[in-house]
Amino acid sequence: MDARLRRVNKEIADCKNDKTSKITLELVDESPFHLKGAFPGPEGTPYEGGHFEVDIRIPDSYPFQPLKMKFITKVYHPNISSASGAICLDILKDAWSPVLTLKSTLISLQSLLCSPEPNDPQDAEVAKHYMTSRSSFEETARYWTHIYAGGPEAKAAGKARDTPVGAVRDEIAIAGLEKAHVDQFEALGFERTKVIDVLRRLNYRGANVAKITEDRVVEELLKS
Amino acid sequence: MQPTMDRREREGLPQAPRLVSGDLPPEEPIPSYTGPSFVTDDPELSRLTPAELYELNQGMLNDAVPDRPLIDQLKHIAVLRSEYEHGTPAFLQQIDYLRSQGYNGIRRTRGDGDCFYRSLAFAFVERLMNSEEEELEFSVMSAISTLESVLPMLEAAGFQKLVYEDFYETFVSIIKQIVEPDRLDHSNLTPALLLEAFQSPEVSNSVVVFLRLLTSAQIRTDPDSYADFLFNPELGEPMAPREFCESFVEAVGKEADHVQMTALSRALNVNFSVAYLDGRSKDGTVDFVQFDSGNDYGSEPMVLLYRPGHYDILERRSQEPLE
Repeated sequence: MDARLRRVNKEIADCKNDKTSKITLELVDESPFHLKGAFPGPEGTPYEGGHFEVDIRIPDSYPFQPLKMKFITKVYHPNISSASGAICLDILKDAWSPVLTLKSTLISLQSLLCSPEPNDPQDAEVAKHYMTSRSSFEETARYWTHIYAGGPEAKAAGKARDTPVGAVRDEIAIAGLEKAHVDQFEALGFERTKVIDVLRRLNYRGANVAKITEDRVVEELLKS
Repeated sequence: MQPTMDRREREGLPQAPRLVSGDLPPEEPIPSYTGPSFVTDDPELSRLTPAELYELNQGMLNDAVPDRPLIDQLKHIAVLRSEYEHGTPAFLQQIDYLRSQGYNGIRRTRGDGDCFYRSLAFAFVERLMNSEEEELEFSVMSAISTLESVLPMLEAAGFQKLVYEDFYETFVSIIKQIVEPDRLDHSNLTPALLLEAFQSPEVSNSVVVFLRLLTSAQIRTDPDSYADFLFNPELGEPMAPREFCESFVEAVGKEADHVQMTALSRALNVNFSVAYLDGRSKDGTVDFVQFDSGNDYGSEPMVLLYRPGHYDILERRSQEPLE
């Protein structure tokens, strides 16, 4: 049996026998080198209560080359692409060591959720949001955990209460924006999706709102 | 621990073999060279002129071409000398000095950051293989028992058995093959089989990783001896043992410096020396830095050749022995 397969089999068995870490692994197809890992969102973070799935590919020269991992579950986090699930983490790149395993790497991803590194972002827009307004960022991350990772419903945000629950409200919350801001520019005659897109790109949140003039937003809206 | 030749104490920087100025491409936009840079990130080298850097880079690139085997056949040291013929005379003098000391051969390794570990592992097995006939069995058995005895240290350092056992088995089976035929080859280890094993990425890298784990475990389980010498080689800041080991010992492709070499010498219970071919000697001699564990019964010392950023093996023979 080849060395890679021998090692992977041992790692899968090790993970199965470990009841404390709550890390799970399963095969995706016939190949033992394409797996799906999963772990619960860490407590005390906006990811708490969510179930996060990760696509894992084991390269030919494993364990001498890093595992290839990306999130299947959508995650709102500075070091994870909100679009593709790609992960920015040193051990998945040049800091890889053959000491690391499927389990310990998934545990590192779990720790990454606890401690974002906004200075080395994978998703620049999310990182800006994180830097500008932590509370707004966390609210959005929690909302994503709720809708994509099966996490608990976010504590009702009072301001959104009187609007009917539906796709419209979702879109604004997913983008991490304030409904009042979106309404304001929508009222000028721009399409809602366009407004959301522009405000998200401009990071129209927290203290930034005062720094970005209405003209600047309109200018961007006209360009888009 | 005696840091005889700590990187930070070595004054200044290694000098690249210099091109005759007429050889330089005249209009080459050298400062904007943006290809892979192996050396320009090193603050120590920031004082080199762009031309020197360019040249050094080219040299490093040639070293890193994937076509170079992980470890090569033994070559006559004249081959190395010919590469420096257009360089500084200092390098040539030093190569001639090595020859005068009886070092006629060089065995190169790929410049992939694993070169120290790979060189040492190869030299270790080769030396065992070359033990005197009557001592062969004893040398092999003591090497294996040394390796067995370090397993508890790996456990103590926190490594999982499933992580290190395959690497351990690979290394031990090569050594065992010196005295008993292997299941696959149906033959004892020969110089050709040894070279073949170390050229196969799976085997070669397993051995490299095993030595990295030994080095790491030695530091992790005896942090007091090493703590004062653990610095981030990129930033120069002190580092905690665990952090240092994770980032600069266990990680693939991270070069070894004096601390790692000292730790491995102790963990493996071997003595070796490193010849510093750096073009900096005033009298054309070469400094040999000794790494002595004090308990090495092997007769012939292992000698590695260091050139800035790279390790190869230095040998007295100038070509592979006949089978």
